[in-house]
Amino acid sequence: MKESPKARVALFYCRNVPGSSEEERQALEKEYGTHVRLFPLACSGRLEPVHLLRALEEFADAAYVITCPEGACRYFEGNRRAVKRVERTKAVIAGIGLESERIGIIIGNKEKTKTLSEHLHELMETASRLGVSPVFNRRGEDRG
Amino acid sequence: MITAEQKPIEEIRAMMAPYKRVLALGCASCVAECAAGGEKETAMLASVLRMADKMNGEERMIKEMTLERQCVNEFVLQLDRVIEEYDAILSLACGAGVQAVAEMYDDMPVIPALNTEFIGETKERGLWVENCLGCGDCMLFDFGGICPLARCSKHLLNGPCGGSVDGKCEVNPDIPCAWQLIIDRLAKFDALERLEKIYPPKDWSKKQGGGPRKIVREDQQK
Repeated sequence: MKESPKARVALFYCRNVPGSSEEERQALEKEYGTHVRLFPLACSGRLEPVHLLRALEEFADAAYVITCPEGACRYFEGNRRAVKRVERTKAVIAGIGLESERIGIIIGNKEKTKTLSEHLHELMETASRLGVSPVFNRRGEDRG
Repeated sequence: MITAEQKPIEEIRAMMAPYKRVLALGCASCVAECAAGGEKETAMLASVLRMADKMNGEERMIKEMTLERQCVNEFVLQLDRVIEEYDAILSLACGAGVQAVAEMYDDMPVIPALNTEFIGETKERGLWVENCLGCGDCMLFDFGGICPLARCSKHLLNGPCGGSVDGKCEVNPDIPCAWQLIIDRLAKFDALERLEKIYPPKDWSKKQGGGPRKIVREDQQK
């Protein structure tokens, strides 16, 4: 059984990410419990900055989005929009003194594809290194 | 449309400091188009402000709401049902909207979250450019639909100045020479003779100098 991670993450992802079927998503949420919330998107271009911000505000120590590789977006530029929106959101949270690394983007790699589970595992490590977000009290007790 | 940009977050938080129950009020018109004060931006700002409060151990209630327009009283009146819940309104409207709300609820502090900038157009996605000064005496017909007051750096009515290089303004090389555009346009219409007229100095009294302007249409009134 995996050691229960302390960080909480929100992971938004394009439904084209390998290993992101509904069954696989439910299995991951069951495995990680309340430490992970997964949000499938029709396209990463559907992500708005407010989605990331609300996740950080309500429960997450880190909020990331996974996009399709460059040139592989079925809607042509959705993944590029996601990149720009994440950059803007990073600047917004930096403006209130929150570490910009708590928001991020994972751009898929055509040659070395990773599954949703693999991405999530890496993200949990990143979030654990960042620690509990200063938005919450030290023990993270006031999360939603 | 009127364009605006959000004020720095520190400035907004400083103005909000005395208040514990704040309504972040968006506007779905001009400021939504320029991505400064619409529903999305209002939600973003409210979320960021709430996070900042938590990080600083400050107790404050911040909720958000967006009106279709903040500059029209019929829309502003929708606040009647919620206004008692708050001790301040953080308005993401242009200056006109901020003042309309402040006048409607004159015992409610209204904080401006945006800096109102200019009248302009959406040139392309993410780019807004000034093209009208609201002078009150439109001369666009004379100049082929290109305003020399708004778009010429020197506000010349009898241009060109002769300083442009490759069609770019000598004052600001990032912008096209408005007079080059005017001449090209009038040439297309075979109407260059309009430029033979000598235009007198602009009568700015129609824009400023007499206090706030107003328009009255009795046929539109009750």
